[in-house]
Amino acid sequence: MSFWLTVFRQVGRNIRQTWASQLMTLLTVSLSVLIFAFFYLIYANMLTFGEKLGDDLSLIVYLEDEPGPELQLQLTKKITTFDEVEKIRFISRAEAYQRFARQLGQNQDVLNDMPKDFLPPSIEVVPLKNLRSLNQVKLFSAYLSRLPGTLKVQYGQDWVERFYYFTKLLSIIVLLSGTLLILTTIFMVAYTIRLTILGRQAELELLKLVGATNNYIRTPFLLEGLLQGIIGSSLGIVSLYALYEWIKLRFSGPGFLNLFEFSFFSPVVSITIICVSILLCTLGSYSTMQKFLRI
Amino acid sequence: MKTKSNNGLETMIELIKVSKEYPPDVVALKDLSLSIASGEMFFVIGMSGAGKTTLLKLLCSMEIPSSGLIEISGKPISQLKGHHLARLRQKIGVAYQDFKLLNDRTTAENVAISMEVSYKKPQIIKKRVRDLLEQLGLADKHDTITGELSRGEQQRVTLARAIANSPTMILVDEPTGNLDAVTTEMVMNLLNKCNKAGATVVIATHDDSIYRHTSHRVMELRKGRFHMMTGGIL
Ligand SMILES: Nc1ncnc2c1ncn2[C@@H]1O[C@H](COP(=O)(O)OP(=O)(O)OP(=O)(O)O)[C@@H](O)[C@H]1O
Ligand SMILES: [Mg+2]
Repeated sequence: MSFWLTVFRQVGRNIRQTWASQLMTLLTVSLSVLIFAFFYLIYANMLTFGEKLGDDLSLIVYLEDEPGPELQLQLTKKITTFDEVEKIRFISRAEAYQRFARQLGQNQDVLNDMPKDFLPPSIEVVPLKNLRSLNQVKLFSAYLSRLPGTLKVQYGQDWVERFYYFTKLLSIIVLLSGTLLILTTIFMVAYTIRLTILGRQAELELLKLVGATNNYIRTPFLLEGLLQGIIGSSLGIVSLYALYEWIKLRFSGPGFLNLFEFSFFSPVVSITIICVSILLCTLGSYSTMQKFLRI
Repeated sequence: MKTKSNNGLETMIELIKVSKEYPPDVVALKDLSLSIASGEMFFVIGMSGAGKTTLLKLLCSMEIPSSGLIEISGKPISQLKGHHLARLRQKIGVAYQDFKLLNDRTTAENVAISMEVSYKKPQIIKKRVRDLLEQLGLADKHDTITGELSRGEQQRVTLARAIANSPTMILVDEPTGNLDAVTTEMVMNLLNKCNKAGATVVIATHDDSIYRHTSHRVMELRKGRFHMMTGGIL
């Protein structure tokens, strides 16, 4: 009981003595948490979006001629030798025409002068869900285009590719800001603790002389790092949430955000980010103490 | 293992051929052997630079000896580390010659430190601090920043801090250097009281007024060596 009382008094004293640098550290910690969490939030949402996109992914193989039933079987066999697929569907010229007409809706009359077989027949291939990575899709597409009698293969290449590289870039940014987070928290916390220790060298020396145990000297500093971690990271996450809510409010209605569902971290992820930051801060204070207290 | 000295009392402090050299070649203490009983009051005298402070620093393990053995209550202190060393130091009260006060804290806070480290209850600390300051004539300085006190007052605050935690061993370095006769008596009365209560007290001084008529042992050091011992009933 008295132990914690003295520890808290010590912490209060430290904070009063170096509050300016403590505040700086706090802001740095929360800012780095904010930056990291911001990019990570976008990245996480991109991933879920990409998953959905992958669910709808299908490859259209345009053919020169309408395949007969026998050829259809042969083609099916050829396709499945590359990989198992979810679904294969043959679309004849007539079907393609009807589909197109349906898509045009009221403007159907533009088709009036066209021959009913101007659209090529095609095969719609829906790959298995595990065929997600861009490279695999590319390989599959290349394989399909090498089948005899194919004109070309389409799967929204541009779109998929751009999206793929965007997520790749995002993952790099997330990694970088994560590193930044680790470095700033550890070093800033270590730096402020060092300042406190240097400012109170005489007192710490005396404490050792009158028989203070290492725990007595160490605990206030550990607690300080812990507090920096808790307050700093919570502040970061909370301000990100505020930002998120603000953007949602500002840009509600049809727009970019409604294009795909944008959601905040689950509580588990938020708490994990906070816990990791706390751990990092405590680590920072611990390492400095070991170095400067020589205890 | 508890050891017995000649007069049947337990030995508190045991020094065997202890030397202390400071680099490069200052010999502060040379081949000193000494045994002080538990509950004894013991004076160390000698000219300036004789090694009195060095001896006290070795006893509270603020410095380690260059050679020789030092035992406190039968335990060699040079091997103590961490937790055990801290425990021992809580049982030793030291009034340093250079005070080592925290000059941005109040008198009360300075005295309380030695009790706080052994987790005494706040009420007990408060009471004890008031009591001690009263006995040393510092009652009105309770909330004064020690940096603003006179040297004589600071000296007494240091002493109060040394004995606040009721240590079993009290080391006092030059306790009356800046004091008048009346205040000196006040200080000596307090130290005698602690000694009567069972504490071993070692006083380093060149103030002959406090050891001239004593019945306790007085050891004189000269240039770091044992010179002579007077008094005491052996
Ligand atoms: N940290 C140190 N480094 C080098 N030499 C030291 C150190 N401390 C003490 N000495 C030397 O050791 C010798 C003994 O010093 P000490 O402080 O023990 O003397 P003292 O008897 O306490 O003197 P005084 O009565 O003036 O306080 C002196 O010559 C001193 O210069
Ligand atoms: Mg001295």
